[in-house]
Amino acid sequence: MQSHAQLSSIARAAALTLGGLAVASTATAQPAPINPPPNPHVFKLGAARYETNTVTSGISGIGIPAGGDVTTGNANTAIVTYEYHFQPNWGLELALGIPPKIEARAAGSVAFLGRVLEARNYSSTVLLTYHLPDVSSTIRPYMGIGLNYTRFGDIKTPYAWQVGLTDSIGWATHAGIDWRLNKQWGLYASFAASEVKTDLTAVGATVLKTSIDFRPRVYSAGLSYRY
Amino acid sequence: MNPCPNPARAWARTALVVAAAFGLVAGTLSGCGGGGIDEPGTTPTAGAPATKGSFTTLVTFGDSLSDIGAYAPATSLAGNGSAPYFGGKFTVNGPGGTVWVENIAATVGVVVTPAEVGFGATSVKCPAAANAALAGTCTAYGQGGSRVTDPNGIGKAGGALTVPVKTQIANHLARFTSFKATDLILLWGGNNDAFVQFSTFSATATQIQTDAAAGRISADEANRRLFSAQTAAEDEMKKAALELAGYVKTEILAKGGRYVAVFNLPDSTLTPFGTTLPATARPVLTALVDTFNLWLREGLGGLPVQIVDQNTPGKDVYANPARYGLTNNTVPACDAAKISAITRGAVTDGSSLFCNSTPGVPFNGVRAGASATTWQFADGVHPTPGGHKVISDYVAARLRAFGWI
Repeated sequence: MQSHAQLSSIARAAALTLGGLAVASTATAQPAPINPPPNPHVFKLGAARYETNTVTSGISGIGIPAGGDVTTGNANTAIVTYEYHFQPNWGLELALGIPPKIEARAAGSVAFLGRVLEARNYSSTVLLTYHLPDVSSTIRPYMGIGLNYTRFGDIKTPYAWQVGLTDSIGWATHAGIDWRLNKQWGLYASFAASEVKTDLTAVGATVLKTSIDFRPRVYSAGLSYRY
Repeated sequence: MNPCPNPARAWARTALVVAAAFGLVAGTLSGCGGGGIDEPGTTPTAGAPATKGSFTTLVTFGDSLSDIGAYAPATSLAGNGSAPYFGGKFTVNGPGGTVWVENIAATVGVVVTPAEVGFGATSVKCPAAANAALAGTCTAYGQGGSRVTDPNGIGKAGGALTVPVKTQIANHLARFTSFKATDLILLWGGNNDAFVQFSTFSATATQIQTDAAAGRISADEANRRLFSAQTAAEDEMKKAALELAGYVKTEILAKGGRYVAVFNLPDSTLTPFGTTLPATARPVLTALVDTFNLWLREGLGGLPVQIVDQNTPGKDVYANPARYGLTNNTVPACDAAKISAITRGAVTDGSSLFCNSTPGVPFNGVRAGASATTWQFADGVHPTPGGHKVISDYVAARLRAFGWI
């Protein structure tokens, strides 16, 4: 489990590292304009399709026949992001989703167990994003890399298990297009991918374990507002 | 709005927003109950003595595997409960017919006698006390059929005493007030809990399969019900294991016990009985044993005791009998037909309690060609003296490894 302090330091470290990278790559191109552009603050609100795209390791535990596994479902949710454009082409973005409710269903030799688990992914992602150069153009593609931190909460199971899911920190990446409508408002569409790994331990009459390797793909689209 | 904000101020504001957002997220999450959880059974025992004991007494608690003759009166030659007896232990009785408890007593150099002897309505506690010199030796409490807590053990209805381990310990405290540093205390309980739970599960499973075959429930529904029945049985094993660990803590360690070793359960499917089970049922019995062992480990975690693993070595014996001097580990050495004839039809399951190997006597119940030393099993689940020697050799090796003997 990550403490708040650890988490902040990880975010800080990520920002520092990525910031350093940005300076290095722009330094060779031109004398770096370090001033932010006008209206550097951008908020986005979008609808998102969260596809879990999971790879699991099979369920192990006393009394579970060979071939027991679990699959996860997809979800629709909403995403809020805030990005600060510290240079005309570079921004640091924090993306938060309304935690999607992910369902896990038993599979393989234990498929008859049906829905075994439901949990919300509380996820936050920090992304260093590069926007294509022309600040004045109506359509600006962007792409970025960063870190995702996910915790699992509101864990529910119809079985008499106490379930734990470990926290996850992994890479994240996104790409998208901003479409400027006027000085403040715009539309956007984006695709994001990240790596979210968790170890599941369910303690009941016995102990069941599995590793879930989510490789979520998030498609989102919505409104942007800058000031 | 200032179109050209001071960069430093803007950065500071951004940092604040990001930090606040993360803080908000982390703060919200801390109340969600997420995160990993501790896995049961991973805390080792700790603090058991590492020095040689000055043992004057061997105290054993358990079931038929540790029974050194509690039900001998049921095998009275005269048929009236009086000596001489032709059986009494769950092995091949007769010359050299010792069980692991007696072998360990010999290794340690102490005398041990049954804590209680009787059958049906009549029993005598500490019969050895008739000789004052032996009054302190009646510390072998194991009885065939005994469970951890439930007094209704296997065979109770037929007259077996089946005093549960819980009461065995209480009886010891009643007679000797406390445990002593000179006691070597060995516990091996839970096997019969597994058999009872397995039997309950099997009855339920048969009903479920009947319903499924008749089309009254779907295959998935049948599987769900089987899983549920298995889980219920596992829950009972968990309960029994945690209870046993609790007795070790509150009734033995807290009452003077110093040299305490707890045996876990061997896989009962690796017996002649186990091989008769349908392939679909065997894993369930194994799961019940494993469940017990898991929670026993959990319950004993951190306590100053030693765990003697009987499960892993048992698997090795089953897979490599020759390494242990065994030539047959699949056929019982006792002949059910002979035992039925000897007991005039009263005992039809070939129970080794009534099995005697004395050559030339009319109550010899050994199968033609069988050996009490190189065949592992006397009946469906109980070892021959040869099988018991494998157990006691292993236990003695562990006691040496602990530094106790």
